[in-house]
Parts: sequence; C-alpha cells; structure tokens
Amino acid sequence: MSNAHSHAAHTTGEHNPHLAHHFDTMGQQAGAAKLGMWLFLATELLMFSGLFLAYFVIRGFYPDMVLGAHEYLSKTAGGINTCVLLFSSYTMAMAVRSAQVGRPNNQEDAARIKKYLILTLLCAGIFLVVKYFEYSAKFEHGMLPGKFYTAHLHGYDIEGLPHIFFGVYFFMTGLHGFHVVIGMAIMVWIYLRASRGEFSEQNYAAVENAGLYWHLVDLIWIFLFPLLYLVK
Amino acid sequence: MSDKVFLNGKVVEHPHEIHHHVSPVRHYQVVLGALFVLTGLTYAVSFASLGPASLPVAMLVATIKASLVVGYFMHLKYDDRYNLFVFLGTLIFIGIFFGFTLFDLESRDALNDDQRTFTRVEEDFNNTGVKPAVGISNDPQRLAEFEAKHGGEHGAGHGAEAGAGGEAGHGGAEH
Amino acid sequence: MSQQPATQDSHSSEEPNFYRAKSGLMSWLFTVDHKRLGVMYLASVLLFFFVAGFLAIALRTELFTPAQDFVSAATYNQLFTLHGAIMTFLFIIPATPGALGNILLPLMLGAKDVAFPRLNLLSFWIYSVAAVMLLCTLLLGGLDTGWTFYTPYSVHTGSAAGLAALGVFVAGFSSILTGLNFVVTVHRMRAPGQSWDRMPLFVWAIYATAVIQILATPVLAITVLLVAVERFLGIGIFDPAMGGDPVLFQHFFWFYSHPAVYIMILPGFGIISELVTVHSRKHIFGYKAIALSSVAIAIISFIVWGHHLFVSGQSELIGVIFSFLTFAVAVPTAIKVFSWVATLYGGSIVYNTPMWYALMFLWTFTIGGLTGLYLATISVDVHLHDTYFVVAHFHYVMMGGLAISFVGGLFHWWPKITGRFYNEALGKLSALLVFIGFNVTFGTQFFLGHQGMPRRYFAYLPEYTTMHQISTIGSWILALGLVIAGISLAMALRKSAPKAGPNPWNAMSLEWQTASPPIEHNFHDTPHVTCSPYDFPEIDKSGGGHH
Repeated sequence: MSNAHSHAAHTTGEHNPHLAHHFDTMGQQAGAAKLGMWLFLATELLMFSGLFLAYFVIRGFYPDMVLGAHEYLSKTAGGINTCVLLFSSYTMAMAVRSAQVGRPNNQEDAARIKKYLILTLLCAGIFLVVKYFEYSAKFEHGMLPGKFYTAHLHGYDIEGLPHIFFGVYFFMTGLHGFHVVIGMAIMVWIYLRASRGEFSEQNYAAVENAGLYWHLVDLIWIFLFPLLYLVK
Repeated sequence: MSDKVFLNGKVVEHPHEIHHHVSPVRHYQVVLGALFVLTGLTYAVSFASLGPASLPVAMLVATIKASLVVGYFMHLKYDDRYNLFVFLGTLIFIGIFFGFTLFDLESRDALNDDQRTFTRVEEDFNNTGVKPAVGISNDPQRLAEFEAKHGGEHGAGHGAEAGAGGEAGHGGAEH
Repeated sequence: MSQQPATQDSHSSEEPNFYRAKSGLMSWLFTVDHKRLGVMYLASVLLFFFVAGFLAIALRTELFTPAQDFVSAATYNQLFTLHGAIMTFLFIIPATPGALGNILLPLMLGAKDVAFPRLNLLSFWIYSVAAVMLLCTLLLGGLDTGWTFYTPYSVHTGSAAGLAALGVFVAGFSSILTGLNFVVTVHRMRAPGQSWDRMPLFVWAIYATAVIQILATPVLAITVLLVAVERFLGIGIFDPAMGGDPVLFQHFFWFYSHPAVYIMILPGFGIISELVTVHSRKHIFGYKAIALSSVAIAIISFIVWGHHLFVSGQSELIGVIFSFLTFAVAVPTAIKVFSWVATLYGGSIVYNTPMWYALMFLWTFTIGGLTGLYLATISVDVHLHDTYFVVAHFHYVMMGGLAISFVGGLFHWWPKITGRFYNEALGKLSALLVFIGFNVTFGTQFFLGHQGMPRRYFAYLPEYTTMHQISTIGSWILALGLVIAGISLAMALRKSAPKAGPNPWNAMSLEWQTASPPIEHNFHDTPHVTCSPYDFPEIDKSGGGHH
C-alpha cells in the first residue's frame, strides 16, 4: 500500500519517470517507501502479537486442554505448509533480487522477475489448498470455534474447554490465511506491473515492499506452526 | 527545482543512484537450506517428549528461523539502520505487552490461591464434579437445532460416547 | 527560520491558492493534496465535535434534576456511549493529526506533500467509512456499552456492539495509516537544513503521536476484532461464560487506550508550544526538553495501562508497579508545563485569542494532570474510581487539554488556512465563556465525585442536586462559548473579513513563509532552513534555552 504512489510520477525532463512529484530523488522515494513498509509491518506484528498473547494466556489457563486439542491438528499438513511457505519466501527474495539486478526495459530480466512471482503465487496457492483440506476435516469433525463446537457430539471427547482452542486456532490461521490471500492479490498486481516493464535496478521499491510483506506472512507462520501444531 | 538534492536535510552526493545491497544467490540458497533443516528439527523434536523444555526449544528454533528470514530475505542485515530500529523497537513493545499481561495473570493466580476471590470456570467444574458445557452445549437453541438435524446420524453410531459427553454438557449448562 | 532570497511575495499574485488550483466536487473527494485533505478532516471533526457535544448537553440537561426527566435509563446509556465513542474515535484522536497535522506538517517541514499522498486520501476515506459505521449503530439498536466495550457486557448486549466494534476497527486503520505517513514524512521529507533540532515543536509532538498510533492502534484493532468474534462465535477468550477472562480484555483494551490518551493530548502540547512562543515573541524555553519529553511521554505511556485496572481484579502486585510507573508520566509532563511558563516569563505577550486559549490550557491541563496523580494512587483510586472525579479528571485533560488547545490552534492558524482574520472581539468573548463554563461544569464534578456520585447514572440522590445543577448550567455556558468561537471563526470566511497576508503573527516557522492560503505545491522554491523556528529577530534571546 505504501508504495502505491510510485507509478503516479510526473515525467519531468531527465528525471526517472517513476519519481513522484513530491520527492527529489529516487533514493529518497525508495527509502520512504521502504520505511513506510517497515512501519506497516510493525503494526502487523503488533496486531498478531495480540493473538499470540491470547494463545499463551489460554495455554496458561488450560494447559491440558490445549495439549489435548492440538493433537487433532495434522502435523504433516502443517509441516508441508511450513516448507511451502519457506520456499515461497525464497522465490520471493529471488524475485526481488531479479528486480535489483534487472536492466531497464529488458524483456529477459522482466521475464525472470515474473517467473519467480509465478512460483511464489503457486506456493501460496498450494498453501491455501492444504489449508482448505485441513479446515474441511475440522468442519467435518465439528471442531469449530466457540459455540459452534460440536466435536463432543461427533464422538471426540477432548478434556476441558476445547472450543476455545479451536477458536484461537481458526482465528489465528484464518487471519494469517487472509494475509496470504491479500499477498496473492499484491503479487498479481506486481506481476502486471512487471509485465509492463516497470521494474529494474532503477525502480524496484514496489517489488521489494511486496517481498517484505510476503516474508512477514512467512514470519508469522514460523511461529504459528510450532505453537499450534507441534508444542507439547 | 534546484540542482542539488537533499535527504534528511543533507546533500545527497549521487542522487540518481539508488543505494542497494544485492545478496548473491548462494546466500539465499544457504538460508533456505538452513530453514528446511530447522523445520525438520522442530518437527522431529515434537515427537520426542521434552516435557517443560518443549516450548522453549520450539520457540528458540522458531526465533532462529525468523532471524534468518528477517536478516537475509528481508535484507535487514544490510538495510538502513533505522528500519532495524523500527523492527527491534516493535519487538520491545510486544515484550512490554506480553510481560505485564502475563505477569498479572501469574501473580493474580498466586493471590487467588491465597484468597479464593476468583475461580476459573474449569476449577468450578472440577470442584463440583460436573463437566463443563462445551461449545454448542452452551447454547440450548443451537443444540436443539443440531440434534434435530443430526439426530439420526449420531444417535445410533456414537450413542455411548456422545451420550456421556453430551449428558455432562447439559448438566454444566444448567448450572 | 529564513528562506531563500526568492520569496513568495513576487509570485503570490500569480499562482492561485490551493482552494482555487482545481475546482469541482471530484477535485476534493479524490484530492491527494494534504491541505485539502486537512480541510476535509477539519470539516468532519468539527461536525462530530458538534454532534457529540450536542449529546453531552442532552446528558447534562437530563441530570438537571435527580429524577428521570426526558430520557429513559437505556437511552441515557446510549447517549453517554455515543458521546464518548464519537468524541474519542471521530473527534479527539483524528482532530489534531488529521486536520491541523495534515495541513501544517508538510508546510512546517518545507515539503511539497506528505510522503504518501494517496495513502493519506485512503486514510481519510477509511475514517469516513468508520464514521458511517459508528453512526449506523444508532439505527441498529444503538450502543450501550460505554466507549470502552468492556466484556462480558459487550459480548451479550442486544445493542449493535458488533458493528460498533468493527467501526472502531476501521477507524483504527485510518489512525495507523495517518501515523505511518507522518513518521515517514518527518524522516524523509524535511527541507534542506531542517535538522531534528530545527523542527517546530508541533512537528515533534505530531511525530511522537504518530509513533504511538503505529505501536498501539494495531492492538486495539485485534482487541475489537476479538470482541466482535466473541459476539458472533463465542470463542471464549474474553467471555467468562465460555471460559475466557474479562480482565484480559481490559489489558488488551488499555494497552491501546492508555497510550491513546497521549495520541489525544500530545498534539495539544505541540499546539501550545507554538502558541506560547509566537504570541509572546520569545524563544521557547528548553526546546530539547520539550521535544524529548514528547518522545518520553510516548514511551512511558505504554507501561502505565494497568492503572485503569486497579479495582478490576488484576493482581495487587502489578497494581503497585503500575501505580509507581504512572507517577513517572508526571515528570516529562511537568517539564513541558514549566517550560511553557518559563517561555512566557519576560516575553512580550500579545493577549489575542490564541494566547487566551493557550493560557486557559495551562490552567485546565495542569488541574487535569495533577488530579491524575490522585487517581494513580491506588488507595485514593479505590475510593474515587467510577465516580464523577474520574469524569472530571479526564474531561480536564481531554476537553481542557486537547479540545481547548485545538480551538486555540484553529484561531492561531486560521489566517493561514483561510487567508483572513477571525473576529478578535468574539474570539476573546468565546475564550472567556469557555473558561468559565468549562471550570463550572467540570470543577464541580471533582466535588461530586469525591462525595461519591457514581458516573454513568441517569438519576441520582437528592443531596447531589445543587452541584449537578451548577454543572449543568456550566455546560450551557461552555456550549455558548464554543458556538461563539465558531461564529468568530466563521466570520473569517466572509469576503469582507480583513486579509491576513502570509505571516500575520511575524512567526518564524516555515508554514508562515508561504502565501495564505498556501499555493498547491506549498512553496515556489524549496526553502532552506538556517536557524531554529523560535529565533525571533527583534527580541532579546537571553531567556531562551539554546539557539
């Protein structure tokens, strides 16, 4: 979002066409965009931190219930998704790198950026598909959040108050999944701009910021995975 | 527009160059490899029973993974120091948020044990010997709807188990 | 702060000001010009100030007699909730950053615009959506939880708390994006020579505010989202009936909402710093102390939230810690008040309307701040919590601190925003009436609270009648004073009002070095800053902190 201005540039003489009117240099513009993105990531981290805190509090209140309920999450599905997201982070970093070394108006270099973006999108898609299967299994077993929890009527007897655990599980992974979807939309947008040949070593702040966002999605999953799926 | 360009009140020497650090591809590959190895490690460790050490170990591994992502994929190692400051500053404030809240919950419980001013729902249920009302059982209307819909399906198959759980649930809900 | 030799005067007749640069409704609704956005924010926050103020008058009028008069208990709950929610989320929080900050920040920095102009437009639109959502709660059964959404009541109430929570969630986004924009602007967009120690103190205050907006507001977002989810799904984090912890909600909520108090008041500090120097023609006393105390307040504000939970069932141990930390806020705050007073000392004070409001602020805010120390003391708080003492305290800080400095700031920058002068006589009359009305209204409530009058009651025991009536009459005087302030400002909009010229106060900061109203791109040539914004040339600077 914070990089949105960069293609609204006024073309002024010998200046870089991607330079917006209120900036003096591309360096200033790119630095501002990146600082803006980092501040945005800070807000994302703080927002998720509330959910992580809720998780730790619930764990503190009902340790046995959390340990009992988390056994019903599929470690394998979570593990696959972790690897998929890590790999997508790598491809995204490579997309950014391709932009950093890309020559202006060079088809070949633009194609490389696009290749890595496609790979990243593909990983995001796989992540969501795996998530879909996980979610539908939970739905089937009535392991739903809060007052929709019916697993005990489906024959799964989990000690304590597991509807809280599944509430936290669905909220955390749901919000994370929502970020994945937003990330995919951003990547499609970046892909379209890359197709127009906008990105090169002279202008890659938008790719870089999209990358930062995507790595954040990965970062949150790195903590979600052990806490929800693995920890005993 | 003036000839000179400025950033943060200072003259920029080479305004048309963008300062950037390009990491070699090799770095990214090594980092990715390390991330996979660490993921495998936590996955494997999760099957071992480490007892109370399991959470710190998992968090330590996750933190190392996160540092790799932040430092190399997100370039924070080579970036403007202020971005690093923003990131670490955020972690400090998250620490404040966690620290005080969890400290309250810890010390509040200590006081509870002393004075019995609060009881957790679960303790209540433990003391009365009645199982807690879980999820849908809290909501009589929704429970009725559920039973009307799934009555035949579950009544026979899981009769015994569901009956036990459900029965206790009703007890809890009525208290 | 001097500018390059090529000044605006030779150009100003040629280039139209930002109002005339473009025309048509679309040029406003989709503008990315920070000044136009600021003006739209200004119109919106003033509208909501009026709406919420009207609700306040309705509340006070109901309280004129002990019995129920014209609103029911349930309606009364909705009135004070909406008064609080609208004042907080739609007026106080966006008022100074959104309106004055947007108009002034790039001008003060010598920039052409904020760092992300389109993001700025987006935050205005998000703010508008949030406003519509909060007002829609009126149609959907109202909101009766108080602006704080305390669980479990907010989870179970039949009113539109879910929609209101989502409205607050959306409003939070607007606040975050504005803060983010301003931090980047301050870091990256300063004019040549505009070093950190040459920034006007208003910029420092807005900067510190923006830091809190970025760090605190996301937690509010997740908190209200959790409340909404708790309402719809009953996940059992905050709702004790489902196994959750209502005190946890209060931790989440006040982790945001205590720093938010400083989102509200810090910009007011910035305004007062400008007002007392410019209208006493004297270098600010202790520039660095004021600037850094803003940052210190921003940081300390994050470690004191537990003083809202002294009687909520948090552990006594952490209550003591929070009480101790709360006292620490008094230190940077006192540094500011002393510095302002020292600035006034020996200055050539001009007693115009902005100065009257600034002096009023020093009085009311100091009372508000000091009574905060009473409430930070646990043993006193146990007696005073949830009484009118608390109501009086936070109105002295919010209304007497932010709202009064905001009105003073409007008078101060009105010539810059409109290009013309307000009516000075009416301005002073309004200041007088606001001062009397404010202190009569809320000063009385300290005594009411100390005698045990609980807050949020629509009817009360007969022994409180006299003081409630004094308070109600005070609120009418206060409202009259604010209406007259509005008239005084509105008179500047007439064609016959005297023109202000670029720099009517002979101030030194950059926003006064361009035309009034400014041209679309703020400055013809990028200004170069060579000295502090408080180096007034014609006076003895010996009283100043540093130059």
